[in-house]
Amino acid sequence: MNPRKFFWRVLSVVVAFALWWLSSGTIFNPILVPAPHKVAVNLWEMTADGEILFHAWASLRRVIVGYAFGSVLGILTGVAVARIRIAEDMLEPPLQFMRNITPVAIIPLAVNAFGLDEPSKYFVIIYSTIIPVVFNTAAGVASTPQIRVRAAMCLGAGRWEIFLRVVLPSAWPFILTGLRVALGFAFMGVVAAEMIAAESGVGYLIMQSRNMLLPEQMFSGLFLLGLIGLVTDRAFQFTIGRLMRRYMLQTAAFD
Amino acid sequence: MNWRVLRLEGVGKDFDRADGGVAQVLRDVTLSVERGSFFTLLGPSGCGKSTLLNIVAGFEETTTGGVSLDDMTVTGPGTDRTVIFQDVSNALFPWMNARENVEFGPKMARLSAQVRKERADRYLRLVGLDADGGKFPFELSGGMKQRIQIARALANDPDILLMDEPFAALDAITKKHLQVEFRKIWDETGKTIFYITHDIFEALLLSTHLAVMTAGPEAGIKEVFRIDLEEPRSPSNPDFAAMFSRVESLIDEEVQRMRAR
Ligand SMILES: Nc1ncnc2c1ncn2[C@@H]1O[C@H](COP(=O)(O)OP(=O)(O)OP(=O)(O)O)[C@@H](O)[C@H]1O
Ligand SMILES: [Mg+2]
Repeated sequence: MNPRKFFWRVLSVVVAFALWWLSSGTIFNPILVPAPHKVAVNLWEMTADGEILFHAWASLRRVIVGYAFGSVLGILTGVAVARIRIAEDMLEPPLQFMRNITPVAIIPLAVNAFGLDEPSKYFVIIYSTIIPVVFNTAAGVASTPQIRVRAAMCLGAGRWEIFLRVVLPSAWPFILTGLRVALGFAFMGVVAAEMIAAESGVGYLIMQSRNMLLPEQMFSGLFLLGLIGLVTDRAFQFTIGRLMRRYMLQTAAFD
Repeated sequence: MNWRVLRLEGVGKDFDRADGGVAQVLRDVTLSVERGSFFTLLGPSGCGKSTLLNIVAGFEETTTGGVSLDDMTVTGPGTDRTVIFQDVSNALFPWMNARENVEFGPKMARLSAQVRKERADRYLRLVGLDADGGKFPFELSGGMKQRIQIARALANDPDILLMDEPFAALDAITKKHLQVEFRKIWDETGKTIFYITHDIFEALLLSTHLAVMTAGPEAGIKEVFRIDLEEPRSPSNPDFAAMFSRVESLIDEEVQRMRAR
């Protein structure tokens, strides 16, 4: 990062904290919206006694399980929609309908159907993940250049080889975009679900802190949420950059 | 497969148009291409040259008539015919480097790593890119990409190369170099070439046979020539110039006919 960029970015953070600090006790009731330094103290205490880690891990564990299932299911469904006529005809209507129902709205149903424990969280996360993955995968598979497939045919590739060696690699940039969006959705889904029905997790922490009039703790929860999201997204991009770099090269050819 | 001649007999092609109508593109195309020849197809834009090439490649089915190699009917794409596309950015595999692209055909043929490497070495050298095997398509110029596509096709050892305006998207100088080089490659490898171009000059520089198509719809073959010009071919040769104007006037006739409709 060049010095100029660094300067403005640091300034942006400083300004944000200053506005927060100034508004607490002036515009907002300082009991309900505490100043940043009070939140910092609380954050330190919660980190020290392990509570932060406990809730962070609870959410993260749910996301890992749900996201893994949702991604695999989403990719398979997306491929089927793009490649199998019957699958397209049968899955398009429910998918087009489902994409309008946000994950948050599905939570009451998830609780009714799967109870208050982990399964309902997994359901919400899988639901959040699957929608963007399916649509991006289907778009990626369908947009494979026809002549690339034809070239592979001339070179002796069979149907299965064409799929694995040409169609799937051509679709990776789309699929990965879907997976990245889905990762964000998965966190939104799990936090909302934890706010409504859970005994642990970042969503639970935020909601519970508000109910128990512990606003510092509520802010700590928000900070934690932002941090987890940022770190996982960066980790995702780093991994893609390492493992899938050659498939991302083609975005240059998408001119 | 060791055929002597590629035959098109009474080939006709209709397309169902998006508006529900039928596009009658080709009618009764009969041609034979001898093994080892450089056969070029010229014709007014939109007459159906690419359609014909796609039929020979096995990408499209004929509506009437058929294509055969000696007595074997073409029913689909096969490794005996390899297409070289004009849109090389999409034709190459962008996630493979030049060498991996060239090795794709041998890999599909389950050849050993040793043989694959030898093939790649040989054809990368033939197209003058032996030092660029590690580069990815996005790192290569249009002309270099087209050379890689040619090397990839040759590494697959087809009997015939089907080329649809392969150099049309290149700048004039690159194009000129590639024409000369490609003629040499043809001399060395002895492959049969089925070639489409809009460029009469290119056609006369490269081909042993030349067919001019009539304007569409219902396009067919207007005339077929054997080209016995003195080697090395040169536009300053009077026979070359005479041939050029003869072919040009044939195509102009068809363009006029198309305009008149
Ligand atoms: N899939 C298709 N559906 C309907 N019509 C088609 C289809 N493919 C080609 N055509 C029509 O067939 C005709 C011939 O097309 P083709 O691409 O073979 O021409 P061409 O001679 O290669 O033209 P050019 O010189 O411009 O490349 C055109 O009128 C085109 O609109
Ligand atoms: Mg064409």
